Amino acid sequence: MKKVKTVLGEARQIGLASELIKLGARLQVLESETTLSRERLLKLYKEIQKKSPPKGMLPFSTEWFMTWQPNIHASLFMNLYQSLITSSEIDEIDAVIRAYKLYREYLVQLEMPEVLSVTRAWRLVKFVDAGMLTTTCCKECKGHFVVHTYELTKDYVCGLCNMPSRAGKTKASMQVVDAEVAEGEVEVEAVAEETGVEA
Amino acid sequence: MNIQNLHNEIRDANLSYLILAQNMIRADRAEALVRLGLSEDVASIIDQLTAGQLLKIAGSNMLMCRFRFDDSVVWNLLLSHTKDQSQAQGMHAAILMAGKAVEVA
Repeated sequence: MKKVKTVLGEARQIGLASELIKLGARLQVLESETTLSRERLLKLYKEIQKKSPPKGMLPFSTEWFMTWQPNIHASLFMNLYQSLITSSEIDEIDAVIRAYKLYREYLVQLEMPEVLSVTRAWRLVKFVDAGMLTTTCCKECKGHFVVHTYELTKDYVCGLCNMPSRAGKTKASMQVVDAEVAEGEVEVEAVAEETGVEA
Repeated sequence: MNIQNLHNEIRDANLSYLILAQNMIRADRAEALVRLGLSEDVASIIDQLTAGQLLKIAGSNMLMCRFRFDDSVVWNLLLSHTKDQSQAQGMHAAILMAGKAVEVA
């Protein structure tokens, strides 16, 4: 990304950063998507969220996107993202923000918990860009779902056509919510498991 | 419904649809393209339409909008709501509909 040289350019970057912060993005996302200094981003984060940003690594595993509930949420986000990016000429990060807002609209409508955080959503796009994840067509419903790139997907059936018997049970879904809320804790584990895979 | 009533109904539906589409495109083009399932080219034309042109187009005997999801799978998902499955089916429908928007574009 090119360095900010103009005041207007900087204003745009601050706008972008604050939009991401409002959606709940982690500091690493902001550092990657803007050229603003870490100090300024920290200050901006505190001004908007009224607290310090969470510390620790970002969740880095592609496996998370394969489990039943996250996969469905990630797939919805990815479909929205791809329809945005193919229909108009917008920046990748702009598409992430818009797709994430549309995704949240669905959750409100369906009264569902936010399983995919904006940081995860951003990460998902990076994984797809890096060729680690992709989408494939379910042979039953013809919908597009997130899968590992080198998985055998000839006879892929999505988690919604072929629902696991315990899928979507309230207790399980509540645990997922808890897990999301305690993302910081998850990441402490992630650090313990860290093998230097940070993409 | 006699033929004159039918024409009036079509004109009203066309007009509401076109005005809504124009407002959406003017407010946020990228988002409108996804919600409407429209190409960039047609969106630019609708964006530029004057009130007179809108009225003229709306007055045709043909509906300017049509069913986007010509697929019984989507309709069945939207319709069959057993209570504990409704969220999953809602998500399923949302994924299919968002995916269709990609194919159109």
